[in-house]
Amino acid sequence: MARGVPVRLVIGLAVAIALDTGLQLVWKTGIADLPDTSSAWETAIAIASNPIFIVVVAFMAAQLVNWLKVLDHADLSYAKPFTSLSYITVCVLSVAVLGERIAPMQILGIVIVVAGVWCVSQTQRATLRAERIEAGAE
Amino acid sequence: MSPTAFGVLLVVVSTMVEGFGQTFLKKSALDIARRHRWILLGVAVLIVEVVLYSGALRFLAVSTAFPITSLSFVMVTLLSWWLLGERVTPLRWIGVGLILVGTSLIVAHA
Repeated sequence: MARGVPVRLVIGLAVAIALDTGLQLVWKTGIADLPDTSSAWETAIAIASNPIFIVVVAFMAAQLVNWLKVLDHADLSYAKPFTSLSYITVCVLSVAVLGERIAPMQILGIVIVVAGVWCVSQTQRATLRAERIEAGAE
Repeated sequence: MSPTAFGVLLVVVSTMVEGFGQTFLKKSALDIARRHRWILLGVAVLIVEVVLYSGALRFLAVSTAFPITSLSFVMVTLLSWWLLGERVTPLRWIGVGLILVGTSLIVAHA
């Protein structure tokens, strides 16, 4: 990551990735539990009566609060690509927790994603406040 | 339209919706006087995205649906440049391109 990136931003991005990973796994588990019906009303009742969706909403709320703090410190087009690292954590956890297998091409994909994130991390994190950064204020 | 194609369509639309939601949330960090209005607007749009993505998960495995959401990186980068005026350098575009290639490989073998 480029120099001058605040620790608070690094922690915020790490928390965003962790929350994103947890949310995806819990969300899918909840949706998979829903009854097989085409009725929107029955689906809504099933969602309201399944506590796992409280966890889903809690994850989303925590994610929103954390993300707003991240956006206070960085461009949207800088911060958002870092969340792609959650593709890797979901992939790794599906192996570690669910016993799934990773294909060699998926490992190559992970390496390319990391390379992409590295490229983004080398760019200026807040172009809208570029004058302050260039003046050495941050 | 097959259920799978419908699921993929829902994910693609949800990523477009997310681009706007993210733009509104970033606006809240820039337009402090109207911070809460932007947050409310952003959250409202993201709720629409949640409904669309939940619908998609009815038809697709999460290992298929989740990586397709990487299209949101393109949407977010375009809207950040267009609506927010962020300076998107060639290196940042290359990074987004690599992320798309990488996630495509992960999806193709999921």
